[in-house]
This record gives sequence, C-alpha cells and structure tokens, in this order.
Amino acid sequence: MKITTIISSKAIRRTLLISSITVVLAACGSEQESAAPATTSAVAELTGFETQVAQGADLFATNCAACHGTNLEGTTLGPILSGNTFLQRWGSGTPTPLLNSIQTNMPPGGGSSLTADDYLSLTAHILSENGMDTVTESLTASSDLVIQDNVSAIAARRQRPAPPAPEGVTVAGNVDDFVPFVPVTDAILENPADGDWPMHRRTYDANSYSPLDEINTENVGQLKLEWVWNMHEGDSEPAPLVYNGIIYLINPGNVIQALDGKTGELIWENWAGPANRQDMRNIAIYGDNIIQATTDARVIALDARTGQQVWETEIAEFSKGFHNSSGPIVADGKVIQGLAGCWYYIPEDCYISALDANTGETQWQFETIAEMGQPGGDTWGGLDDVFRAGGETWITGSYDPELKLTYWGTAQQKPWVPVSRGMTIDDVGLYTNSTVAVNTDTGELDWFFQHVPAEALDLDEVFERVLVNRGDEKLVFSLGKYGILWKNDRVSGEFKGYKETVFQNAFTNIDPDTGEVTYREDIQNAGLNEWTSACPSSAGGKDWHSMTYHQPSGTMIAPLSQTCLENAAREVAMVQGSGGMAASRKFFEMPGTDGNLGKIGAYNVDTMEEVWSHEQRASFHTGTISTAGDLVFAGDLDREFKAFDVNTGEVLWKTRLGTVVQGHPVSFAIDGKQYIAVTSANGGTSPRAVPDVIATEIIYPRWGNAIYVFSLPE
Amino acid sequence: MKLGRKTFSITYTFILVASLFISVAAQAQETYRARLSPMPTTPQTKDTITGEGEVFLTLNGNTLSVSGNYSGMSSVATMAHIHNGPPAQPGPVVAQLVVPASTAGEVTAELELSDELIEALKNNSLYIQIHSETNAPGELRGWVFARN
Repeated sequence: MKITTIISSKAIRRTLLISSITVVLAACGSEQESAAPATTSAVAELTGFETQVAQGADLFATNCAACHGTNLEGTTLGPILSGNTFLQRWGSGTPTPLLNSIQTNMPPGGGSSLTADDYLSLTAHILSENGMDTVTESLTASSDLVIQDNVSAIAARRQRPAPPAPEGVTVAGNVDDFVPFVPVTDAILENPADGDWPMHRRTYDANSYSPLDEINTENVGQLKLEWVWNMHEGDSEPAPLVYNGIIYLINPGNVIQALDGKTGELIWENWAGPANRQDMRNIAIYGDNIIQATTDARVIALDARTGQQVWETEIAEFSKGFHNSSGPIVADGKVIQGLAGCWYYIPEDCYISALDANTGETQWQFETIAEMGQPGGDTWGGLDDVFRAGGETWITGSYDPELKLTYWGTAQQKPWVPVSRGMTIDDVGLYTNSTVAVNTDTGELDWFFQHVPAEALDLDEVFERVLVNRGDEKLVFSLGKYGILWKNDRVSGEFKGYKETVFQNAFTNIDPDTGEVTYREDIQNAGLNEWTSACPSSAGGKDWHSMTYHQPSGTMIAPLSQTCLENAAREVAMVQGSGGMAASRKFFEMPGTDGNLGKIGAYNVDTMEEVWSHEQRASFHTGTISTAGDLVFAGDLDREFKAFDVNTGEVLWKTRLGTVVQGHPVSFAIDGKQYIAVTSANGGTSPRAVPDVIATEIIYPRWGNAIYVFSLPE
Repeated sequence: MKLGRKTFSITYTFILVASLFISVAAQAQETYRARLSPMPTTPQTKDTITGEGEVFLTLNGNTLSVSGNYSGMSSVATMAHIHNGPPAQPGPVVAQLVVPASTAGEVTAELELSDELIEALKNNSLYIQIHSETNAPGELRGWVFARN
C-alpha cells in the first residue's frame, strides 16, 4: 500500500515510529467488540521523499522550531518559512539553493551534528509543509525538479483562510484638512524648521539633534503621555518623520500612515505591499511626496497629502535575494537608496541607487563591490566576480550639500569568515566595511576609507555617518559593530582618530596614525568549524540604533551593547547560487561589565575621550537623540524610555511602555509646544536575538508595536 | 616646636614603617570578584545552559582564598576550575575548586598561586568555570577582576 500523497508529515512520523500499522476496525458492532479489536498488519511503503519528510519533521522540531516556529510561522528570531513569502523567494528554482542556504547557515548556533542527509530531510520537510507533495523520489543535492511545479492544494489550502491583503490607500484623507501642505524644497531639507523632523536623522548631517528647548533638564521630570497609537504588528525599527505637524509613520509590511501630530488622529494609510511582517526603518519626504523603499526592493512615491501612489521603481530583483530594510535620503533632488541581501553568489552585486525624486527614473548606481579589472578589483583574492558578495548598504547615509557628497557605510564581505569565502585575511575586498563618499551628481566614488578590511566575525561598519564641523575641520564619524568610534576628514577621507567605546579583543593593534587594524592571530587563521571567541558579538558594540551629536557640548552620544560571541566558519560551495553567511554562533556576557548589556557612552569629539557613561542590564534598542534642552533620550529592552542629562549622564526621567522601546525617538513642535515621540516595537536580528538568549530574565510582550507621544503639562 | 634631627629621624622611620605595614596589609588584602553567567548559548540552548553566581577571591601573599555561590544550573555541578585565559578567550585549567553535587551551592578553595598565576590574576586572565552533568564542557563561567 502506498500512502497517499496528501498524508501529513505528522502522520508519516507516527507511521515511522511503529514497524507496522495497527488498523482499528470500525466498531460497527457492540462496544465489547471494540474492547478487543481485530488488528491487521500492513507495512507502510513510504516513498523516499516521504521518509525524508518524516525525518525532517523531527530534525526541524529539535533544531529549527525555536526560531522559525513549530509550524514554520516564524518568530522574532527567525523568518517565516511557509506561504507566499517563502514561495516567492524559493519557488521558481530547484531545491538545491534552499538546501545550500540551510546547510550553509543553519542553525546559527552550530550544526555539527547534522549530516548532509539530515539537511536533505530538513529541506524535504520544509517543502512538504509548503505543499510539495507530488514528489516521490528522495531529494538529492542535485534534484532538478522545480519547487512551484510540485506544490499542490495543501499549500493553497493553508493560505486560503488568510484574508486578501489590503492594497493601496486603505484609509482616505487629506493632510490639507488638518494643515495646509507646503511642498518640501531642497532649502527646507538643508535647514529644517526647528519644530520639524523631516528626515530619518532630522538633518542631512545625521546629527539626530533637535534645537527645541522647551523640554529641558529642569522640567523633563514632568513629561506626560499626550497620546498613543497602536501600529501594525511585525518586525519594526521605525524612525517617524514629522513635517508641519504631521507624523508620517512607516509600519511593518510596507504600510505608511499619516497622523495628526497633535492628536494622534489617522489621516490616511497606504499599503504598498508586500503585506508581510517585515521591517523598514525610515522613509523620506520631498516635494509633494513621501518616498518609501519596500521590503521587495522597490522605491515608491506617495502623495504626502493623500497617500495615493505617484510613481514606483524596482531597484533590484527580489527573487535574487535583494531587498531593503532601510529607506532613502533625498539629496539634491535625487532619491538615494541602498540595497540589502547581497550575499548570494550571483552575477549581480550590491549598489547604491539614485533616482529622480520627481519621476523615479534611475540616475546612477554606485556598485560597492569592485570587480575584476576595476580599481580595487584585485583585492578579492582573484575570485571570479560571481563569488564576490556582501557590501550591503542597509543603513541610510548622510549628505553634505556643499561638497555634493553622500556618505554611506558598507557591510562586510559575505560569507562572514575569510575561509568560508575562499579567501585569506589579506584579501580586503573593496569597498566592503568602509565609508564611501559618493558624488551625488555623477555617482562616482570620491574617496573611501576601509575601517575593517577582510572582516572575519560578522561585525560590519555599515551604520550611520554623522557629519560634524569643528572649526575649519569637516569631519565624518562612524561607529560599527566593533564598538570603535572612527573620526575621518570628510573632504579627503583621511583618518583623524578613534576611540574604543566597549571592550574589544578582536584586534591586537589599531595604528594611532593610520587607523589600520591587526586581527588577533587565531582570528586571522580561523579554519572551517573552528570556534573563535571574541568581543563584541554580532549584536554589535553598536548596531543600527544611531548615535546623536549634541552640537552645543561637542559630544557624541551613542547607544552601545556589551556581549561577546563564539564563531565557527562553515564551508560554502563555490557554485553559482550559493553564498550566504555560513557561520555558527554562540553568545555570552562581556567580561568585566557585571552583566550590563546596555551602555550609553558620551564622547568629546575633539579629544575622543569618554565624558560619561551609563550602564545597565537591559540593552538599548533605540537610537539616541539630543536636544537644545541638554537632554538625551533612549529606550531599552526592559520597556523603559529614559531622558539623560547630556552633560552628566544622570537619568532625569523615565517611563515604562507596553513592550520593548525600539526605533528612533524624535522631537517636534506644533504651535510652539514641544513633543517627544518614540516607538515600541518587536522584531529584529542580532541586537534582539543576542539579549534574548543572555538576559533571559527580562520579560516583555511579544506584541505591542506603537508610537507614544509625550509633552509637558499645560 | 622645631623638630630636631633625631626626632625627625624617629618620626620619619615610624611613618615609613607604618606606611610599609599599611602597604603590605593592603597588598595582603587584594580582593577580586567573578560574576558567573551561562556559558555561550544560542536560542536552542538558552534553556539548558542556565544559572548565575558570584565568587569573591582574596589574595594574601601567594595564598588565594576562593568563596562564592552559584544557583539555577540546569543539572548538578560535577566540578569547578580556575582557568587561565584573557577576557573572553578560553584557556587551560590551572586550579581545582570545590563545589557540591547540586544545582546550587558554594564554591570554595584555598590555593597557593605561582608568581605566574598571580600575574595572570592581576591581568584579568583568570576565570572560574563550573561544569554540570548535562553541560560537561561547562555551564557557568566568569572572569576574575579586581574589586573597585
């Protein structure tokens, strides 16, 4: 007897657990008959695929379900592995890329006990759960079937109960009914009104500094909640944008809302799709439009008054793994947009795009990976171009209108460890893990500075570039996962200094004159499956939570994190379509911190010395902002939103929100009254996953995305 | 009163001896502390590598007194050691500690350290590790730092 192809994996697993199937005959007769049922024995002839599915179900429960959910529904620690999102990503190909991705990257904590057959079984289980049930032969590493051609009704039935996702404008309204909309000009963005926060870090220099001072060190203790608005659920790290009293808010799933900043009333809502639970950190405003990047690598302009779509441009192919998690900056009439998901071995590389802000037409692209024959192309160990991966620009850059340069950080090479990518510690891989200064007129590279060449621990330097003027000096500051605050001249890129903000033991030397780093010898020579222990961890000494430059005191205040990791490289097949991250990781408290994961550090930008620090058990999950009221605001894992004295670090006020305080605070004013807004949110990668495994005593709701707005009492 | 040479000399000698005594006493009372926390974990293992602890170490000459406690381990302790390795870098066992066969209890030892290990102690290059039945490679760990 061949088991029908619609048998569930649980049923198959039960079948495997016994050597024969006991068939309970229907009790057509009396209860006495059922007390002594007749049995018959039948050996289940499972197909090779079904056997893999059954074995894979057990392996998945043991190794994968903690992050991806028992039913592949995803959690905050791992993405959903079923349904439309999954099939869009993997359905058009054979199982091999999926198999390679799993084998190369999963589970993050180490897969040494999983055999090649186990990975095939896991792949079979995931495909079966996604409705692939017409296959009988065992999967192999070279199975040539196309996934979506073998998916039948089961996957469709699982998806049917979900209501169709909304599309386009779902709540109609007009900002003009609240306040007359004034088109946003270059001049407005170069010098915003004090009460506005019209881009992700308020100003082109990414200072995250508000000149408002109604709320100050004397009265911040009186802050009260003005209103709260629940946001859509999903992964969320948002930076609200405030212009002329209206809050434009990016929600998970590519949903934007316009809210009256004074009352919290919804004006309009637009679903650009895809309707998922994925994260987008920021949006932009220019002319008459709100401009958003989507999680499937499109850029869309919406009418800021009504939310109606104006134009749309696909900047990269989502089906090839490209996507976005951060939005654009508009500089000199161009929408400058980064790109993420560039870790596969494919001919296409990562790039920064510039689009005409009025039409969406592509103006230029700057590729962050140097190919053979190009300047810097000889820094990839002679690898064929198809195997040069990484260099994502997953955090939005900044802009100097006078120099016409936009400053971006780039992520590290992929896979994470040199031995996995067929390279050595000497193959620096331009222009990864660098600051790149790109001319906004031409898209040409003006200069670059590679902070950590040949990166080896998944510690990238991709985060915000903060522009600071000190006397005649034009400077750019950055702070990457190694926790090193870098100071460079932003005209030439020249190295000007550094400061270690948290304990690091990855480098044995940092040249004080050049900034050149020397990796510890065991990190330099790490082989496949060899564990290397280092600090900080991939949660970063600093991560995506941006720092603020407080202009009056000349202080840079950064949200920092203190954890460490053990890292082991995995082997990656040098074949097209392969690639990925390819490392196992484990995490632990940073020695010498007394278990304090969270740190806010303040640094004098002239001397680079630490002015003050605040350490606590809960990690911080917002960027820091500073104000002319001499305050710094930040929020943490334990749901606390705090105001610090910018000069001393003293906590002057705190309150507790519904769940983790995550995103970017902003300050704005309406009719002369100052407000402080911050989001609570869930989701995220290493900065959330690492504290979750170390500070397990910190409990918070796994829902509760919202924006909270505070002000002083009348 | 103006101090004469002899008075000054006696006074000076007394102050010198007192200073040396205080200095030696201070040296003899060098105290250190280790915060014990779970060995490296993942989302898959965080519920099976658990616990916490705090250990105080006092150095008198070459004698190191170890006294502390731990709790919340996932299974009973099997052994405990001092290892030699810089912060966040595992290293070899250099001394044995005493722990009960329990998921919670006291960590104790009275050790004679070599000059080399005293140097390691002062350089934050010693750490304490407690092993358990289900986590034989170690369940709790903490580097030793001078107390402020």
